[in-house]
Amino acid sequence: MTVAEQLRPGTPADAVDGVTPRFVAEPTTGAACAAVLAAAAVARHATVIRGGGTKMGWGRPVEAVDLAVSTTGLGDLLVHRDGDLTATVGAGVPLSRLNTTLAARGQWLPVDSAFAATSVGGMLATNDSGPLRHRFGTPRDLLIGITLALTDGRVVKAGGTVVKNVAGYDLGKLVTGSYGALAAIVDATFKLLPLPHASATLRAVYNDPAALAADAVALAAGQLEPLAFDIRASGTPEGPRWSLFVRFASSPAAVSFQIDAARALLRGDTTALRDGMEARAWAEQVALPWDGEGVVMRCSWLPSRLADVLALLDTMGEGGEVVLAGRVATGSGLVRLTGPDAPIAAAIARARAASSPVGHVVLVRGSRALRAQVDVWGAAPSTPAVALKRALDPAGILNAGRGPI
Amino acid sequence: MDERIVRELRALCGASAVLDEPVQLLTYECDALPHLRQTPAVVVLPASAEQVQAVVRVCAREGLPFVARGHGTGLSGGALPVPGGVVISLARLNRVLEIDIPNRLVTVEPGVTNLEITRQVAPAGYYYAPDPSSQQVCSIGGNVAENSGGAHCLKYGFTVHHVLEVEAVLPDGSLARIGSRLADEPGPDVLGLLVGSEGTLAVVTKVVVRILRRPETVQTLLAAYDSISAAGTAVSEIIAAGIVPAAVEMMDALAIKAAEAAVHPNFPPADTVLIVELDGPAPEVRELFAMVESICRRTGASTVEVAADEAHRLRIWKGRKAAFAAMGRVSPNYYVQDGVVPRTKLPEVLGRIRALSERSGLGIGNVFHAGDGNLHPLICYDESIPGQADLAEQVAGEILTYCVEAGGSITGEHGVGADKKGYMPRMFSDDDLDVFQQVRDAFDPQRLCNPGKVLPTPRLCGEVPGPYREHPVERAGLAERF
Repeated sequence: MTVAEQLRPGTPADAVDGVTPRFVAEPTTGAACAAVLAAAAVARHATVIRGGGTKMGWGRPVEAVDLAVSTTGLGDLLVHRDGDLTATVGAGVPLSRLNTTLAARGQWLPVDSAFAATSVGGMLATNDSGPLRHRFGTPRDLLIGITLALTDGRVVKAGGTVVKNVAGYDLGKLVTGSYGALAAIVDATFKLLPLPHASATLRAVYNDPAALAADAVALAAGQLEPLAFDIRASGTPEGPRWSLFVRFASSPAAVSFQIDAARALLRGDTTALRDGMEARAWAEQVALPWDGEGVVMRCSWLPSRLADVLALLDTMGEGGEVVLAGRVATGSGLVRLTGPDAPIAAAIARARAASSPVGHVVLVRGSRALRAQVDVWGAAPSTPAVALKRALDPAGILNAGRGPI
Repeated sequence: MDERIVRELRALCGASAVLDEPVQLLTYECDALPHLRQTPAVVVLPASAEQVQAVVRVCAREGLPFVARGHGTGLSGGALPVPGGVVISLARLNRVLEIDIPNRLVTVEPGVTNLEITRQVAPAGYYYAPDPSSQQVCSIGGNVAENSGGAHCLKYGFTVHHVLEVEAVLPDGSLARIGSRLADEPGPDVLGLLVGSEGTLAVVTKVVVRILRRPETVQTLLAAYDSISAAGTAVSEIIAAGIVPAAVEMMDALAIKAAEAAVHPNFPPADTVLIVELDGPAPEVRELFAMVESICRRTGASTVEVAADEAHRLRIWKGRKAAFAAMGRVSPNYYVQDGVVPRTKLPEVLGRIRALSERSGLGIGNVFHAGDGNLHPLICYDESIPGQADLAEQVAGEILTYCVEAGGSITGEHGVGADKKGYMPRMFSDDDLDVFQQVRDAFDPQRLCNPGKVLPTPRLCGEVPGPYREHPVERAGLAERF
């Protein structure tokens, strides 16, 4: 099949940030994907890689898209080597389908995305993660091999299928968080973990953010080993509420012991959550920043500055809703703000001020107007990142200017 | 080396920081892979990032190749000098700059040893997780270059999982911050690329690492088996039970014999010993450890020795960590190999290695990280017997072939360096290698930063991979290696 034969006209269902691409390709092999990219590079076509389509509105506003390359056709490959605790999956495989397959053999890829339809490729390209990163890190930490389709028409691989391997440059890590701006991910290989035998979560509620911050310090200083350790702050016109969520997963006896030990340590008002209640609480926590209206920004902080971060949130409301769902020990979270764009732009500017306790403030979700007004990424790419972009995408066709590179 | 350049380097870094007397240069001829040797033109020991920048700028201007060197403990010739080139030793950049316990961060210069980080934070109850066997002497800068692992990386990961940010001098002499101590810096993971790049992309001058809270409990057992396959079954069952041990190590009879001769860990006489360590909160460790113990007995362990106290545990680890050096007690020469196979292929590949040992007549000791399939075959030979060194080299290459055929890798933690670059085409296609070169050129368009490492160079006709042997053309003085 020639490259032209692989293309079909774009439809509104293929939209990238509300813009319908002129053409769509749905390659079913890495070679076909690379051939499409090579043709696009020659023609200087603005090209966006599209996985599950769950984050197409992220990044700088898009003016025009010539070509969307959908990875849906790269969604059949799924090799689970359960004895080796590894799996190789096509970029188009939804994360949820991967984990359903792995669970049949008692294993998982411990990444909790807020987006049910997210593809493995999209998860990697955005380094998507949730509360489980407390124990397992982000997808980059679980990735052991990758196959990439490049804009020069070649398909290359890096890493392999073994969990320990230092041969060659780790191109898998390089494309993690690149938002499809360097190459298209064809498939990826991950190390897996056994599913825990038992799990329970302690929720602690506070009326005072200083008490929460003190409890967070106490828990971190101890030797309990949570699977997840999250904070929620939800400020509404009725008043703010703060909670900690501490999840333990291990053998049943060890879980019970740690829940009791954590309860003894925490001064907040605690409730133990198990089974369906626990699952619902975490699903809600993961979805919290995204459910409902509003602008979503990502930010990071040094864990010791948690109290200052909560104080900063207090200044951001301007009468609207302010919600934070984040990782206590990692020092990262998503903030949702409701209200008109102008005060939100001012709030983002305050978060980016030199004296602010948070850094790496990224405007993730917002109207096109707001994303045009505010610097979405908040920083220029580093010198090496720019050089790598030039090396791997010399025609500069990938990602249609959405950033971050 | 042009005397003008040496004078300039002395002016930049101080007279005592520039070595160019042949006897001074001897120390820098090789790293811990002594059969690859090359005398550098000059060695510079800068004492600050600014001095490293100044030296790299001179190299860039003059087109001089340069090689960064930590404490020289690398096992793949990654710090092998380049003829006519500069060695930049980071030994004087050895300060611990900041210890931030509340945020679990330690900032160090690259010449600080791996173990020094743990020493500094141990009083507060913390440690630095990656623990290569050389951790008492190896530098953190070298760990970053090699993405060093260690016995406990099964549970805790490698250097790349514990380094958050580095400051590095790029090959044009500019200083860059790569990565961030704050999470979620937007953009591609350049730090993930840099860690493990074997000193070919930049010279690291500062490293921010994450430290971990020391686990409440550590329990270790040593189980003796009469076959590797029985020990392998135990490992499979432990993994299948959903247990992630902190470490799972195996040693075979020859390695046990060597360790006994060297450090007397008092291992039981056995065909294979299996070491399993669990750590974490006490009730969890207690429960899972009982499961591991019962798996070991069920799979036919003749003895199961549980470390009764910390001294006992350290004695077991001393036996394991000394195994490489101990080979010197049982063989005049030995060659340490570092290959990886998928864990389930361990019995098959070890069987092939045993058959190879019998066929070649060379003893091969096996020490390996059984949890992640990382093999360290120790090939014994006697240089004084004509032909044995060459045979050992062939055997080492054959073992790597087995690893690649089993779906594994030519190196799990020692790096490609100068030693294994000839094997890279066995794992990677020409296109893969070409793109690696493109990525490298993005950092180092002049190709001056640790050239001749990692990627295969067009080889002299007749050159074979493996330990360095002088090529007849070189012997005749007609060619030299670059």
